[in-house]
Amino acid sequence: MKKGIFSGEKWKYLFYTVSHPNDGFYWIRHQDRGSVSIAVLLVILYGVCFSMNRIYASFVVNDIEPRTVNSIAELAGVAILFLVLCVGNWSVTCLMDGEGRFKDIVIAIGYSMLPVIVATTAATLISQVVAENEEAFYTILIGIGTAYTVIMMLIGIMQIHNYTLGKTLITLFLTVIAVLIIIFLALLVINFITQVYSFLRSIYIELIFRI
Amino acid sequence: MKTIICCLLLLCLLPAGALANDSLPYDCYNYDYWNNILYTPAPYVPDGSLGGAGLMWEGSPLGAFRSPQDLCVSPDGKIYLADTGNNRIIVIDGGLKNVLQVIDHFEADGAAQTFSSPTGVAVSQNRQLYVADSQNHRIVVLELDGTFVKYVQNPQSEVLDEGYIFTPLKVSVDYADRVYCVAQNMFQGIMVFTAEGDFTGFFGTISVKISLWEKFWRKFSTKEERSKQQLFIPTEFTGIDVDDEGFVYASNKDTDGMQAVRRLNPKGQDVIRKGLKENLGGDLVFGTVGNYSGPSQIVDVVYRDHGIYSLLDARRGRVFTYDHEGNLLYIFGGIGTQEGTFRTPAAIEQLGSRLLVLDAQQGNVNIFSETEYGRLINQAVSLRYNGDEALAVPLWSEVLRLDENNELANAGIGKAYLSAGDNEKAMTYLRRGMNRAYYSVAFKRWRNEALRGNISWFLTTLIVLIVLIVVIRRVILPRRAARRKERGHAA
Repeated sequence: MKKGIFSGEKWKYLFYTVSHPNDGFYWIRHQDRGSVSIAVLLVILYGVCFSMNRIYASFVVNDIEPRTVNSIAELAGVAILFLVLCVGNWSVTCLMDGEGRFKDIVIAIGYSMLPVIVATTAATLISQVVAENEEAFYTILIGIGTAYTVIMMLIGIMQIHNYTLGKTLITLFLTVIAVLIIIFLALLVINFITQVYSFLRSIYIELIFRI
Repeated sequence: MKTIICCLLLLCLLPAGALANDSLPYDCYNYDYWNNILYTPAPYVPDGSLGGAGLMWEGSPLGAFRSPQDLCVSPDGKIYLADTGNNRIIVIDGGLKNVLQVIDHFEADGAAQTFSSPTGVAVSQNRQLYVADSQNHRIVVLELDGTFVKYVQNPQSEVLDEGYIFTPLKVSVDYADRVYCVAQNMFQGIMVFTAEGDFTGFFGTISVKISLWEKFWRKFSTKEERSKQQLFIPTEFTGIDVDDEGFVYASNKDTDGMQAVRRLNPKGQDVIRKGLKENLGGDLVFGTVGNYSGPSQIVDVVYRDHGIYSLLDARRGRVFTYDHEGNLLYIFGGIGTQEGTFRTPAAIEQLGSRLLVLDAQQGNVNIFSETEYGRLINQAVSLRYNGDEALAVPLWSEVLRLDENNELANAGIGKAYLSAGDNEKAMTYLRRGMNRAYYSVAFKRWRNEALRGNISWFLTTLIVLIVLIVVIRRVILPRRAARRKERGHAA
């Protein structure tokens, strides 16, 4: 049997999850119907779509300076945010009786990206034919896509951990705090590493000059 | 070979043209749509300076200007300079060579009167000289030959505080001889006097803006604390000029760097047009630490012609020029001691195609002459102001040749193509000029044309697609299902 992104079954199930989020995410948790590789692929796709939108959306709707768009950095940013979000959610739900495994969290967040990917791409295409006063089509499309993604993410987290809606919201709030803490610690560690590095480097330079 | 090398060497030795910015003591730049600084060719170049020391009057040297505060160009092209520290008004001819007159006293009510720190000077359209005689607390009105006409002093009104002492700093006059005066410590606005010299009221009062955050803290502070806090007072005006239609251009101090100039209609309302960036405050990008940090400090404004006006910044010594739509046209000037830079710029005026900037500390007038670049922009903007946008196109293309980043030029050409009906070219230029509204118009027309031209193709494809779908659904799919069924039976 083919696995991951090569399995037609899994792709079909992705679209089933988008149209039936409650059921879909439930069976992802209990019958392993989801695929981590598809989820990761979707996240990468979102990063690409995001940059493409910033570069290629037409002049009428696009107020972004092309010189500031760095698609590699944006891709990395999306990936890091995704990773931190997953880790944050996993660490919080572990302590709050969440039933989901890390794998399920990755799939839930990754699969939820599909609507926003489709909407962003469609909006980028539509922007090529809209003029002023017609930007509403563009913004509404992106708005709907984003809203659908947020709702799917909410349902996904709720289903895989077997939470009530209230508890999901609380864990999401705590997840945000966890993400901030992770970012803070990461910056701290990077800062320390740089200092240690520069210390070692200065010792090295000192030795080079003396010997 | 030798001749080529010789020619090249000779080329190197040739003096750089007026457009070469490397010989200028200042940077010339403008801001693009995203507030990036784009360096431009020089719109104005230094063309000498005029100090008191080099001038002769009645056979003897005039002597250096001491802290001159204002200058004014009369309708017939003479320059009136308020030599504040020497208590005199100096009249110089339009060629900026000869002193025509030195007014240091006048005859009033049978007694000789002198000036005391004259800080402002203006010439009315009716050829009368108005001098803001600040330390004598009066505005003196003279005929151009120095004969006394009248005083404007002692404003009487209920709105003025008891014991208010009138100290005029800057003065300007409109076509009806109404006098507009910026007075010291007067935060209510510009003081307006009738032709007879009666105080009629304040003009163009700037309302105080208190942020929500400041309101919030004031709620929680005690009375004692509040008394120690900074007072919320309106900002002061710094310079005034009156245009031909009687609108008053007034520059003001602005700590936010958002709006440092106002155009006041006869009712005193600000009717200035702001551009896309909603900013009329000089520099858009500035540092936050050091000597040259902070928003521009606009000390004077000069209305030029066709809606163009220039602001003078004392913080970084720059001259900002805007058009009637509030677009920044060009920026030049700087702080320094070289010719063409200032130490404490105090006033700006226009003399023909030249600009005069008065430096109070150096005691001289810096003269700037228009370059080809400046002239092209001025002319193109003037043509647009008069509604002749089509005539401006060759000028804008010339501007693009000198400065291909110029957004106004690109937009100007784009608009011309739009009205000529060439939508594709219009779109290219309007996009370079970052003009969304007009781009959109061009795009709409282009889209409609494309649709109209290709409608048969669209419809044909659509029909073919529909037929295909119907065939697949009605014919191919049922057949396949039937075949599958047969195979099932066979097995």
